[in-house]
Amino acid sequence: MPSWIEQSIARGILTTRYPHAPASDAEVPLTGRAPGPKDPGTTPRSAIDSCPVGAIAATTVDQGKCIRCARCLARGFAFAGSVESVARARAELKTGPGAVPTAARPVPLAEFGRSLHVFLVDVGSCNACNLEVLGIANPFYDSQRLGIFFTNSPRHADVLLVVGVPTPEMREPVLRAYDAIPAPKAVVAVGACPISGGAFARNPGLVGPLDGILPVDVYVAGCPPTPVAILDAIRAVAGRARPAEEA
Amino acid sequence: MTRPSWRVESGPPRPSTERALAYAPEDGSFALYNDYADGVAVLIPSLRAVSVTEPFPIWSGASAPPDGPHPLGPRTSVSGYGVFTFPYGPISLGVPESGKFDVTTYGERVLNLAPMGGFKSRRIRRAVVGLPIEDAALQVERIAGNFSAAHVAAFLSAAESAEPHEVPTVELWTRGFAQELQRIYNHFHVLARVAEAASQNVGLAQTHALAEEVLRLEGRIFGHRWLFGALLPHGPPRRLDPAHRKEVSTELVRISGEFERLWTLFLESRTFIDRIQSTCPVSRAEAVHWGAVGPTLRASGVPWDDRLRVPVPPYDDLFVALPHVAGGDALARLTVRMEEVRASLLLLEQMIDRWPTSAAASAPNPPVVEGRGIGRTEAPSGDLVYDVTVRSGRVASLEFRSPSVANWPVFALGMRNAVFTDFHFALESFGFAFAETDG
Ligand code: SF4
Ligand code: SF4
Repeated sequence: MPSWIEQSIARGILTTRYPHAPASDAEVPLTGRAPGPKDPGTTPRSAIDSCPVGAIAATTVDQGKCIRCARCLARGFAFAGSVESVARARAELKTGPGAVPTAARPVPLAEFGRSLHVFLVDVGSCNACNLEVLGIANPFYDSQRLGIFFTNSPRHADVLLVVGVPTPEMREPVLRAYDAIPAPKAVVAVGACPISGGAFARNPGLVGPLDGILPVDVYVAGCPPTPVAILDAIRAVAGRARPAEEA
Repeated sequence: MTRPSWRVESGPPRPSTERALAYAPEDGSFALYNDYADGVAVLIPSLRAVSVTEPFPIWSGASAPPDGPHPLGPRTSVSGYGVFTFPYGPISLGVPESGKFDVTTYGERVLNLAPMGGFKSRRIRRAVVGLPIEDAALQVERIAGNFSAAHVAAFLSAAESAEPHEVPTVELWTRGFAQELQRIYNHFHVLARVAEAASQNVGLAQTHALAEEVLRLEGRIFGHRWLFGALLPHGPPRRLDPAHRKEVSTELVRISGEFERLWTLFLESRTFIDRIQSTCPVSRAEAVHWGAVGPTLRASGVPWDDRLRVPVPPYDDLFVALPHVAGGDALARLTVRMEEVRASLLLLEQMIDRWPTSAAASAPNPPVVEGRGIGRTEAPSGDLVYDVTVRSGRVASLEFRSPSVANWPVFALGMRNAVFTDFHFALESFGFAFAETDG
């Protein structure tokens, strides 16, 4: 009779080499990369008009608004940019020649050498971001090997991961969760929803971007961001290097 | 010493069975929405019995969910010695989504459990009014990311039935294909969540890995792990040509093998089975009475599935297995879901073999301009219904009833008299999403 142990051995090692090697195509689907004009200098007018969330401007693409809908693909755009799309300031999420470089901000939890405890709060998500965040613990990504642990209590957390677009009903609860985390602490906005409102940016009666109610330290773009991008964002909280920077 | 005593009083009466039966055609119809305020179930007859264009109520006006926190099941008051109510949520231990449960207890047993929704409402129903159909669809697929294919399919079929016109066969097959893949993902996800609640760590890791493999497969075919854009005209390019279909088929055979080994191990694990057996029971009568849907209904002995009741392509042309068991407990719900994994794998195999190729199969799709339509599909957690009105090519109104909304009452009832430690197994066995509950 087979056992769990035999089953595990038969399955073998599934874990990605990321972040020690760049993410593979299996890990990152087409829409897992940041969009940009195929010809870096030129953004067709039709691409600007096609974007349902107004992420495309003449010389920049605001990755924090992009919902990876792929409409711009037929208009001179390609998903050929960064897999990570992680930034420590909102303005840094703009890519392209028109992007303005921002002053380097201090690494929020630079002193956290080895382990980070993460508390997840959903303020109005579609559930896909929640599931991608939980997915980093699966054997393919094995976040524990990188010292990333989920905790069930804000009192034991260092990092608040926020998914979803803030609704009026979740405003108070998320502020209370933030207050309950002991300092030093960091906030990561996961996905287009908390960064800009994403697909729901123009919906009536919502609170607006997360950084209007909480100090956000790290932003990770995507709708939803892939698990490798989420790993990168959590590592950025402690100032850890990316694969490209390591190489 | 005084003996503890308590009294359970259900608030408004249950929906009347007589009325339900009066509306029900012999082929079975289901409560679309339990209007607790009036104690009346609003029923939708099966689409076979009614012409698709005939309007009938989905939400009886005032019953559409309010924005703020509101109860998702029967309102109940419990009083007695030592009885108290504590709130669990909206940010709660071990529940990754935001929602709340008011738990009434005297210490050990749950006397009443009231799920509360409305914390995640992104006001989608209102926000899409005035948008062109394909822009509204971007929000519809994000009502619940893990059920996106079902929501988009039901929404589009509602919009398309607003006006008589043909939808290309390839489009319909692609919707079926995407939905079956996502069903498999969700069933694996439910198994992983139940395994986690039962502290089956190896089983959890292995199931979690299988779910990830399905997401990767979805990403490879449709360019997006959660199928956003996959069923829309301007979404990412699809890879469903013969060479890729063959690759998918090989991958599915491998996933199926892994799944069979895993499920056998779960079934042999006494500790696992012990924890879910007789947990949160839902009787056949209760399931029908309260309008439960999907695997929940089928696990209570009712063989009802939209893919057979309202067969649209590709299901009208394929063999659809209909697993159902009589147990009604968490084990039964999980068993039905795992049987459905097999059924969905079989459906995907059939689709890959018989993919439509004729030119007529992929003729362009005329835009929908005017009218009202109902769209209905079997989502991973059950029957999903959309009611869409289109005016001048834009959405004039959108209503939907999700399987989560239909199933909350029987979960709440099943938890009565349970011990609170059963909460997580019970909850996860239904496959709820607060995201689609609130919209
Ligand atoms: S993918 Fe969609 S949201 Fe992103 S830039 Fe292109 S059109 Fe805009
Ligand atoms: S960012 Fe996209 S995937 Fe994440 S919660 Fe918002 S809509 Fe869902």
